[in-house]
Amino acid sequence: MNGVGLEHYLIVSAALFCIGLFGVVTRRSVLVIYMSLELMLNAANLALVAMSRFNGNLDGQIMVFFTITVAAAEVSVGLALIVALYRKRQSTHVEDLTTMKL
Amino acid sequence: MNVSLTILELAVVSLGIAILLVDLWLPEQHRRLLGYTAAAGVGLILVASFLISVPSAEYAFGKMYVMDPLALFFKRFFLLAGAIVLLLSVEFSDRIETGIGEYYTIILFALSGMMFAASANDLILVFVALELITVAFYVLTSFQRNNIKSLEAGVKYLILGALASAFMVYGIALIFGTANSTKFGDILAVAGSVSSNPLFLLGILFVLVGLGFKIAAFPFQMWAPDVYQGSPTPTTALLAVGSKAAGIVLLLRILFSAVPQIASQWTSLLIVISGVTILYGNLCALPQRSLKRLLGYSSIAHAGYLLLGVAAVSMAGSSAILYYLLGYLFTVLAAFTVICIVMREVDNDDISSFEGLHARSPLLAATLSLAMISLAGIPPLAGFFGKFLLLKAVIEQGANEPGYYCLVIVALVGVVISLYYYLGVVRTVYWTNPSPGQASILVSTPVRFMIYACIVGMLYLGLLPNAAVNLAIRAVQVFHL
Repeated sequence: MNGVGLEHYLIVSAALFCIGLFGVVTRRSVLVIYMSLELMLNAANLALVAMSRFNGNLDGQIMVFFTITVAAAEVSVGLALIVALYRKRQSTHVEDLTTMKL
Repeated sequence: MNVSLTILELAVVSLGIAILLVDLWLPEQHRRLLGYTAAAGVGLILVASFLISVPSAEYAFGKMYVMDPLALFFKRFFLLAGAIVLLLSVEFSDRIETGIGEYYTIILFALSGMMFAASANDLILVFVALELITVAFYVLTSFQRNNIKSLEAGVKYLILGALASAFMVYGIALIFGTANSTKFGDILAVAGSVSSNPLFLLGILFVLVGLGFKIAAFPFQMWAPDVYQGSPTPTTALLAVGSKAAGIVLLLRILFSAVPQIASQWTSLLIVISGVTILYGNLCALPQRSLKRLLGYSSIAHAGYLLLGVAAVSMAGSSAILYYLLGYLFTVLAAFTVICIVMREVDNDDISSFEGLHARSPLLAATLSLAMISLAGIPPLAGFFGKFLLLKAVIEQGANEPGYYCLVIVALVGVVISLYYYLGVVRTVYWTNPSPGQASILVSTPVRFMIYACIVGMLYLGLLPNAAVNLAIRAVQVFHL
């Protein structure tokens, strides 16, 4: 642990979160947006584990288990939904999601 | 540890699993019974909940889960909403090609998530309960998977919902890191020393972002109109009532049980969000032609009205929220029931398909008009008294901060704007003639019964508000205000 403190982990996790958020905002493919969202969730997991380790409180790591489980459930539903959309539309671009307006 | 406190949730989950299993062996033509069974089951659980009384708060799972009057109030609220929505889904069942049994089951699972949310006393439970609701709604919104609108609604809800959960988890991580606990009690104990820590404040802000998405408050409202319009109508009804109320109860719990000091520091933020949400929802609803989409924008405006009570940071404000939600439940469910029935013949929720509804079905026309009048806040219906209580709570706080008076003016302007589009619907229903060839609409007995219940609820809450107001006041005694 020489020289690597809590702040290093938090900076990495904040960077991951921002990269994920940037991806969600700029990417146009639903699949890539979904990948970016997973990146954001993992950034939060990293922060939780690091803080749990440095605070000496295991609650954070328990939370990570819940987050991973929930994220897995979310991915399974989400990917099924994206596949269903692709079957119907032959595309997963956000520009094609414009049936409903005004 | 006291598992028996979670008996209501366990009952709902067991009912869901039972429905799922029975669905496997039930022949196709009896599937309709399944929905009635689910609704009756939820109704029974609702009745059974009146056998439970909680004189003081009781805890389970290491203080993660709390059973107090507020939790019980919201559990009954969700059970009532769930029973009505299940009846509505039976009405809707012929429009879902496959898996109607799963539709009922997922509604029940979402319902159990809402009930857990009502009892959350720990950020981990907040997160898990919210995800249980959200993931169930991903499926419910896109259930008509051969309908492109429904799929689109599902994908939009998926992306923005997952974004909101990412913010939520990150916020929880920051709060955990600074307060060294996820329990509300512990956070309250250390909040004095960490409330100057920017990471802690950022954490609270991120959690509020996640909840703001659930209740569709500005600037996290963009999903609401599309999802309301595209989803199957029973889903929309549950989304409007259940999901919003779950977000509100969590918002109240986190702000007023865990970090009351920060809530009173952030009143100006809450005032601005509330005001902008009201104006945004009402102004954007004006040009809408689709009734479900109009109700989507109207639900944004109502999130703004509910935030009035949060911004007031007072007991009066919180109890007004509870009363308002109760009125909103009957009103919105009545409106969506009518939409669901009228949309059976024309798969189109354009306001023009409601032309001459008074001739086709006087009951539906009267129900829809009453619902619109209640949403607009015209006496003597529930919506009026709710708005009155909320505004009263805000004015009471006006002496401390002049911003509250501006908020009241904004809210009143919002109400005036909303009169235009709500009464526009009433005008379409009563002052137009049905186009030729449109037969009168038959309403089945269970639905008729449900509509009567909603009308009675709206009128009762509006005319004799005392009992409900007392109930709400007793429920909010749990807050540290």
